[in-house]
Amino acid sequence: MSRLKSAIPALIPFLVLTASLEIAVRVGWVRSYLIPAPSAVFRAMIESRDELAAAIATTSASALLGFLMSTVTGIAIAVFLSSSRAIQRAFYPYAVFFQTVPIIAIAPLLVIWFGYGMRTVVASAFVVSIFPVIANTLTGILSTEPALRDLFRLYGASTWTTLVKLRFPAALPQILTGLRVASGLAVIGAIVGEFIGGQGLGSVVDVARTQQRVDKVFAAVLLASVLGLALFGMINLVSYWTLRRWHASEQ
Amino acid sequence: MNAARVTVSGPARGGVALDLRGVRKVFQNHTVIEHFDLEVRAGEFLAILGPSGCGKSTLLRIIARLLAPDDGAVAVDPDADRFQTSFVFQDAHLLPWRTVLDNAALPLELMGVAREERYAKARAALDEIGLAEAEDRYPAQLSGGMRMRVSLARALVAEPRLLLLDEPFAALDEITRFRLDLRLRELWKERGLTVVFVTHSISEAAFLANRAVVLARRAGRIKLDRLLELPERNEDLRLDPRYGAEMKILLGAMEEE
Amino acid sequence: MRKMYRRQFLPVLPAAFLAACSKSPRKIRLALNWKPEPEFGGFYAAPFSNNGLDVEILPGGAGTPTVQMVGAGSAEFGLVEADELIVARSRGNDVVGLFAVFQDNPLALMVHASRKFTSIGDIFKKGATLAIQKGLPYVQLLEKQYSFANVKVVPSPGGDLSAFLRDPMFVQQVFVTSEFLTAKRQGADAQVFPISLTGFNPYSGVVATSGDYLRKNPDIAKAMVAAMRTGWRTYLDDPKPTNLRMNQLNPSMSLDGFAETAEAQKPLIESGETRRNGLGTMSRERWQTLIAQLKDLGDIQQAPALDDCFKIL
Repeated sequence: MSRLKSAIPALIPFLVLTASLEIAVRVGWVRSYLIPAPSAVFRAMIESRDELAAAIATTSASALLGFLMSTVTGIAIAVFLSSSRAIQRAFYPYAVFFQTVPIIAIAPLLVIWFGYGMRTVVASAFVVSIFPVIANTLTGILSTEPALRDLFRLYGASTWTTLVKLRFPAALPQILTGLRVASGLAVIGAIVGEFIGGQGLGSVVDVARTQQRVDKVFAAVLLASVLGLALFGMINLVSYWTLRRWHASEQ
Repeated sequence: MNAARVTVSGPARGGVALDLRGVRKVFQNHTVIEHFDLEVRAGEFLAILGPSGCGKSTLLRIIARLLAPDDGAVAVDPDADRFQTSFVFQDAHLLPWRTVLDNAALPLELMGVAREERYAKARAALDEIGLAEAEDRYPAQLSGGMRMRVSLARALVAEPRLLLLDEPFAALDEITRFRLDLRLRELWKERGLTVVFVTHSISEAAFLANRAVVLARRAGRIKLDRLLELPERNEDLRLDPRYGAEMKILLGAMEEE
Repeated sequence: MRKMYRRQFLPVLPAAFLAACSKSPRKIRLALNWKPEPEFGGFYAAPFSNNGLDVEILPGGAGTPTVQMVGAGSAEFGLVEADELIVARSRGNDVVGLFAVFQDNPLALMVHASRKFTSIGDIFKKGATLAIQKGLPYVQLLEKQYSFANVKVVPSPGGDLSAFLRDPMFVQQVFVTSEFLTAKRQGADAQVFPISLTGFNPYSGVVATSGDYLRKNPDIAKAMVAAMRTGWRTYLDDPKPTNLRMNQLNPSMSLDGFAETAEAQKPLIESGETRRNGLGTMSRERWQTLIAQLKDLGDIQQAPALDDCFKIL
């Protein structure tokens, strides 16, 4: 019950915005073919529920897979980069490439490599979401307190032992921050991938837009946001379970 | 690095002797320690006093071999097995994601000691320091004083022959500090190890140590090296006039420039 | 928004924002739905200033939402597709068509000649990877006419020909005036089947304005149309000077490309009707057919009033 109560402050702006928009469209201040009334969006959701359900399932699978891949790969890359200053200087700039490359520009390349369908979508989600994982994990690993590192050295711990027993657990809060950012990006990446590769919510948005069905566009976009929120919520849950006994952020 | 199972048996007897000769350390063109000579006898309780920035913490880290001197050498006798030095920092520096027991057992874990054995030893160490019932708690749930006790237990769990402490109790309240000082002194007596204790506090140095070294403001120059003429330590030491006398001497050395 | 025969991602919201921000300028804005290319040649050649019109041509790109821009007032005139216009009207967007550049729709399906297709139906019979824009009405028409069991539908890659060039099974939605020519230039054994063969043949390159603007500025609209007719005549007779100007604005196409496209598009622009009634002319019949087709396909619920959709000035 208290969890529901804590959700109320977040709901209020949403309700206010929705009500205002509904009024604005009905009265004519906002043209319905530019921004649909919330009631129209809702109707579109009901009307196309089968199509949207299938689409969200597809997009969810792609986004989730892309996100899991970027989690594992991103952490591995960060661990590699943390091993020495020289390696960081040599390779980190290329990791930044993932951050700056416009996915729209390389998505057609992804199709060439992975073909039409889920593989391209997952690849797109991966490319877009990996950098925050790398950056945050690296920062977390490198920020271990020197005194603790000294402690491990004092007792003869190897670099690997120090990484596994000290640096990585210490970096967990930072890593989870990176995952939070990456989760939303994975959804965006998936949708963009779907524009190019077909299927899922991206395809629904594409077709609805061609047909000037703004209500359906907004319905699909809303569902994409819900997906992003769900992923974000999952990370928060993981964060709660792993950090609650010891980190200030969960206390 | 010794990956084989290491078992440590029996309390350390006799500690180690230290011989620092010509130790010099420079950080970014700034000479922190100029030319440092010091001999420490096995089993001695040495306090190092000095103002901030005089290089005492750096010195301690050099002794611990966490830092290599730019010049000179540190000889340890006997220099047998690597894991005979323990370090206690000003902050307890516990691993927040581990229980008190796991924290106390950490040195043994890193040395490759099996679970049963290291937990037994950790429990014993925690008991000695008065925290036996807290073993399943997490550092976040402990007070500052309790965390420092765990840090001490951790330092003692591997039966060190050389115990280095860098202003460990500075952040604690006076009563807790006093209690821990007493306990530390008792443990030293029981185990006979060598202790080098860096502190700001003249009263603490006088209370704990047999011998006090006062460093100058810069470059680790020794201003005073004195064996303290004091009886056996107990709660009433502070009332003894000899205590005040020693403190005066130490204060004098610290004040003069 | 329709020129997403190439990839486009601009959302609808900026159009609304633009509308909110615009005041009434003295410049008349003509919004194109693609970059300056021969399909707009007549507009660049049009003697607007001679007719007292201060016109600013706004080049577009992937996803320019021209029909929304016109409806919202961020452009006085805009290039749209006829079917796009009808659907917009059915959604409450009061836009009116004044001038249709393409009498025959340039949309087509481009195939590899090696597949030896003799008709659109063959594509569906023999199978292919069909790269099309699923939301377009002609696709729905194809879905009604043919079984899609043997084709794999993928999103249209817009102007990107790499998939087509690599894969003989690939069938791509193109403009006969554009990607088809490019593919041939790149040596592909390409063949096209115009979509108009299916009976779906909406006007393309329709200059539209808002009903509101038309009511308030009938003289301007009339002068615009007249200037456009002249411009297109000029361009059809001699595209070279205008091509030069457009090429400077859009260097992504070579001058040879401009020339070739300008030539290829002529039969789609000039017809018996235009010779009778003037370039850009539109007939009630064509609009009526289109409305009926769109209603039949379910793209619109109610048919908009025929006479509201277009005006001959």
